[in-house]
Amino acid sequence: MKTISRSLAVLALLAFTLSAHAATTVIGNKNLAGEKIDAATLKAVFLGKKVAWDGAGRVTLAVLKGELADEFLKATVDMNASTFTNHWRRLSMTGGGTAPKFFEKADELRKFVADTPGAIGFVGPASVDGSVIPINGG
Amino acid sequence: MNRPLRATSIVLALFSANPLTAAVSIGNSNVQIGGFFSQGYLKSSKNNFPFESKDGTWDFREMAVNVSTTVGSHLRVGAQGFAQRLGNYGEDKVKLDWAVADYNFRQEIGVRAGRIKYPKGLYGEALDVDAIRPFIFLPSSLYNPVLRDFSASFDGAMIYGTISTAKAGSFDYKIFYGDIAMNTDQGVADFFNDSGFFADGVKTLAIDHVSGAAIDWSTPLSGLKLHFSYSKLADVDGVGPFAAAPMFTALIRVAPAYTTIGAEYAHGDWTFAAEWQNQDGDSLVQALPVYNSAGKYGSRNYYVSATRRFGEKWEAGAYYSKSRDLHPNPSATTAEKQLEDYAVSVRYNVNEHVILKVEFHSIDGRFNVFNTPRNPNPTLADSSSFWAIKSTFIF
Repeated sequence: MKTISRSLAVLALLAFTLSAHAATTVIGNKNLAGEKIDAATLKAVFLGKKVAWDGAGRVTLAVLKGELADEFLKATVDMNASTFTNHWRRLSMTGGGTAPKFFEKADELRKFVADTPGAIGFVGPASVDGSVIPINGG
Repeated sequence: MNRPLRATSIVLALFSANPLTAAVSIGNSNVQIGGFFSQGYLKSSKNNFPFESKDGTWDFREMAVNVSTTVGSHLRVGAQGFAQRLGNYGEDKVKLDWAVADYNFRQEIGVRAGRIKYPKGLYGEALDVDAIRPFIFLPSSLYNPVLRDFSASFDGAMIYGTISTAKAGSFDYKIFYGDIAMNTDQGVADFFNDSGFFADGVKTLAIDHVSGAAIDWSTPLSGLKLHFSYSKLADVDGVGPFAAAPMFTALIRVAPAYTTIGAEYAHGDWTFAAEWQNQDGDSLVQALPVYNSAGKYGSRNYYVSATRRFGEKWEAGAYYSKSRDLHPNPSATTAEKQLEDYAVSVRYNVNEHVILKVEFHSIDGRFNVFNTPRNPNPTLADSSSFWAIKSTFIF
């Protein structure tokens, strides 16, 4: 009985963990299919340190505003949305980088990513469709 | 319309403005337009510091507009015009703040050329971007707004990059060389005029070159960044007619080297920062053939600051900042040799484009408090204070 309870607890914890990670999905333009994008690459890309893909042209960042942003940015670049905005204001206002495009709606972001070679962004899992590719960042 | 009314009208107009789009796409290129406009009010007691404001002044504003685009995968070009008015300094004249061609070969190495922001200290490159902090004024010991030309940007080239490691965090480095365009319209001229050595003020400002390096270490400890930078201004010359005998040309030359160590730690809603800077170098004061004196010039500066966010709208901060003359006149009093600044600030984000700030400073000492025609302080007090409000519109 104790073993079953422990197993159920582990399963519940695993399900919770997966759902937390699954709250956002990184999506990319289909021309990123050949790119190796791990967690370090994602961080470099979202901080503006990596500006070009190995074979897919220039990086274009798309950032979704709202609750999802805090969770994604904390996990990916260790910043909250406010700090991330300030980071990019600093870069773009001092000649240090090209600011991301910010979107209010996931559908608009997904369409932008689908239409823009080299674009990468994040949305909720329900907003992913076949027009973009999911990127696991692992 | 008088100045306060005009300034108020501008601020009200900004409040009613619709948010702007920060990026515009033209054809296959990606052109971005950004900028900011701020208008403030400042009133100081006793001394005109940081600029003329004893009677209260609306002559306190900054504005910038930048345009940038990318060409191909690795090249980015852009420029920003900047104008400011700080009391009698700046006069709203538009200057080229930065204009760069930036080729990023890969994450580890890139080359930037043109007019480039000067990387000195944690916040040197972002001196004018007040939207990224709660403070109206950065600590004056390291970031004196009146001496902005010493620190804003340089004409030259920079090599930069990021070295990422698996366990030790990442290192952002910058190595640069160039010169600085200084203008007698700006506050930096009063650094020379305060000496009283020139008749009717310094007429030309020039520098031989500036060189240096900066490294920022994003440590494995979440939120902790460490900074080190070293740079040297070679032969900064102020030239004008000699006050005692205007038929002779007077020269003041300083050659300061800046060594700066800093740390910033962000944890939750809190951000703590501290920096220490040693500024030291040779000086030369001449009005040949009647006067010639060589010596040293420099100061030791530091500050500690703390800020805290309160939800999405509010942020508060405080800092203590101190600057001490390293080579004072032997007869100088304590107040003449140093300046301590206690500051508290509150910021309110009206929306993502409009910011309001209010700030109070208590000042002990009068080191680097100028007495010049543009910043008159005929009787300098040993302590003073000032408060400021400022609204910023950023897009």
